[in-house]
Amino acid sequence: MFKSIWSTLVGLLIEDGQLAIGALVALAVTWLLAAAGGDQTQQVVGWALLAMVLVLVVANLYRAGLVARARVSSARR
Amino acid sequence: MTAALAVIIGTLGVAIVTVVPEHLLKGVVGALLLLFGLRWLRKAILRFAGIVAIHDEELIYLRELAELRAQGLRRNEFDWVGFLVAFKAVLLEGTEVAFIVIAFGAAGGVALTSAVVGAIVAGILVIGLGVALQKPLTMVPENSLKFGVGAMLCSFGVFWFAEALGMTWPGDALSIPLIVVAFVGVSWLAVRILKTVLPEGAQIEARNV
Repeated sequence: MFKSIWSTLVGLLIEDGQLAIGALVALAVTWLLAAAGGDQTQQVVGWALLAMVLVLVVANLYRAGLVARARVSSARR
Repeated sequence: MTAALAVIIGTLGVAIVTVVPEHLLKGVVGALLLLFGLRWLRKAILRFAGIVAIHDEELIYLRELAELRAQGLRRNEFDWVGFLVAFKAVLLEGTEVAFIVIAFGAAGGVALTSAVVGAIVAGILVIGLGVALQKPLTMVPENSLKFGVGAMLCSFGVFWFAEALGMTWPGDALSIPLIVVAFVGVSWLAVRILKTVLPEGAQIEARNV
């Protein structure tokens, strides 16, 4: 049972490592913004997190697309 | 199997919900939901774009069947290999569901009960369909479901994490559909971008390299 829990958690970091690390960085930046900023900043941290995650998704998938394109090109050669 | 997952939720879930302070719980749960959701969303987008092959349930079923028949088991024997394969597969997927149930249950009040009831109803539905049909559920749009669930998990993750940091969302929970729309919109954009990045006809090749 615990092996299964462990493999699920590890899968998050190994299988989609870059995305997971990017998400953790976005969460840390959001936490820092909330901690360092005033009340006004605190009321926009959610939108900032949303924007960071959305950019992260597009960037990560764009990179995945480039990697796939490079693999296809080298396989065709 | 059900008992194993019930133990996970019953011990971890109840302990976490009753002991850990609410804002800390929302923060941790929000972060976990976002990580789980992004994983599902990414896979679903890659499948829609053709970079990762969409699950062919019929093929998977036939492959498993051939492997199990190769073990030379007769129908009147208890099939230990089949039992272990099914147990392992359902436990692995079920653990992810258990985490989601605990995460939604962390909202407090009757949230854990509601999340557990929801999971049980879904489980009964799937088991009932499996027993009634006796064949793989090939008509279920698995990738669309994964895409929708991924977008929702990400949205709840963002919502709760920001709440844990002291933010009050405009309209409170009414913001969640807006966040879901943002995730779905950007995911659609990502699928379009991926389709333009890969050369024409390269999708199938990309799956195999």
